[in-house]
Amino acid sequence: MRIGSALAGTAASMAALAALATLVGGWGLPWSGDDAKPAAKTYEPPPNSAIPEGKFGDEVRLGQNIFREPGTYAAHYVGNDLRCSNCHLAAGRLAGSAPMGPAYTAYPAYRAKNGHVNSFEERLQGCFRYSMNGKVPPLGDPVLVALESYSYFLAKGLPVDEKAPGRGFPELPKPPLPADFARGGQVYAQHCASCHGPDGQGQSSGGKIAFPPLWGPRSFNWGAGMGSVKNAAEFIHANMPLGLAGSLSDQEAWDVATYMDSQVRPQDPRFTGDVQETRMKFHNTPTSMYGRTVNGAVLGDPAVTPPAGTVPPAASAPTPSGEAK
Amino acid sequence: MALVVAAWAMPSGAAWADEATVAAGAAIAAHGTVVGRAACSSCHGQDGAGQPDVGIPRLAGLSTYYIHEQLGYFASGARRNYVMSSYAAALTPAERREVADYYASLPVPRNPDPLPVAAAALDHGRTLFLNGAPDKGLLSCSQCHGTDGLGVGSFSPRLAGQSAAYIVDQLQRWHGGADRDPKGQYMRAIAGRLDTPDMRAVADYAASLPRDGGKP
Repeated sequence: MRIGSALAGTAASMAALAALATLVGGWGLPWSGDDAKPAAKTYEPPPNSAIPEGKFGDEVRLGQNIFREPGTYAAHYVGNDLRCSNCHLAAGRLAGSAPMGPAYTAYPAYRAKNGHVNSFEERLQGCFRYSMNGKVPPLGDPVLVALESYSYFLAKGLPVDEKAPGRGFPELPKPPLPADFARGGQVYAQHCASCHGPDGQGQSSGGKIAFPPLWGPRSFNWGAGMGSVKNAAEFIHANMPLGLAGSLSDQEAWDVATYMDSQVRPQDPRFTGDVQETRMKFHNTPTSMYGRTVNGAVLGDPAVTPPAGTVPPAASAPTPSGEAK
Repeated sequence: MALVVAAWAMPSGAAWADEATVAAGAAIAAHGTVVGRAACSSCHGQDGAGQPDVGIPRLAGLSTYYIHEQLGYFASGARRNYVMSSYAAALTPAERREVADYYASLPVPRNPDPLPVAAAALDHGRTLFLNGAPDKGLLSCSQCHGTDGLGVGSFSPRLAGQSAAYIVDQLQRWHGGADRDPKGQYMRAIAGRLDTPDMRAVADYAASLPRDGGKP
């Protein structure tokens, strides 16, 4: 979910992003209810009607289907109830919601997360391993080729640049008060629970998940980018609640992100067998709650933490590529 | 706000109806509670099908939470409607629950025969419903109502097979900033980004969706 390793980079790049955000009037605005401010034009991906006919267009359409319904179109790699489009809103088209076009133009890139230069396909593998709590599709797998084709299509017209407009999530200032779990719980009850459920387990429409589970066994695992309080706060402030983006204060966004990222969720697939060792190796940052004690429980404690990579056996055979909708 | 949160936090899908409340609700729907005044069924039908062509909504297929909540908003004036307000206010809270239980218990009637809609308009409606319009800051309907338009628990109503005229009317009210209910803030923000052709297209598409999520 976290596309922007550049965001975690130098202070200079943060300043540049902040300046850009100011310049374009803020990324959160297009979805806010405030009609007085025009929608910021940062990233304008092509519409579906621009998808070409032919084999390449078929890949793009398949990629979009996977992106919207990975549990159907990439079932053998998906271990939870999330969709790519739950965090990459508008099916990966929305600026400020980690859109796929500006992500595509940013790779290959060095990622501190795994210590080497990643191809775009390898970056996509990370989404399946962590955010989808699933299995990693091998390089060249039809699922990755389709997602790459869709992302390339969405990148049309953008410069090849790791700072393409709209990329990642907009930078959010540090909160006035230290982020607080209890206050976050109040924000959650008031602004989030009606859709995501009082227990964070999401809600369905006719048996299909409509509002994604935010924690618990069917949500992203501890290795996912959204498990970073910083990423979550940025995403939430820029995009949530749906249709009313920008309505939460900076403080509320940080508090509720802390609340969400202090809950039980599937284990980090890099788990070494020891929670504190795993924290030191992979979560040694103030923005990860992994290994911390919240309400008397250690987050990541294997005794109460659901397993990583829970793709059901029934889904292990590749699904037919399916007709693009 | 605390009350609102409590209402929203109700478990979705869990039945709170029982045979007694459904039977009591059926009687209210058929005969009303005040002698000399029309009953619910006069407009919405005893089968809850409504009158789609004139914009009287179908109630069968909506969740009991949703119907109950909306009756409460009509009664309190939070949702303003010159017909429904007085009817809802004439019911006690228990009666509102009974009538909600009744209509929610019914099988969803077949979709009415659709009025002819140009294929291009229906296609536009489908695109808006499923994709929204990122360039206008418009979320897709499916994000909150489900890809099949079946609604989500206590949060959002089923749109599949609902009266297109009713949906357009509601969108226009929200577009104009009308008061509805605390959740109306979402729909006001959405409808503000729709023009009249958009509203018609998206309403026609929703009305064309199979009532039960299956094949048309």
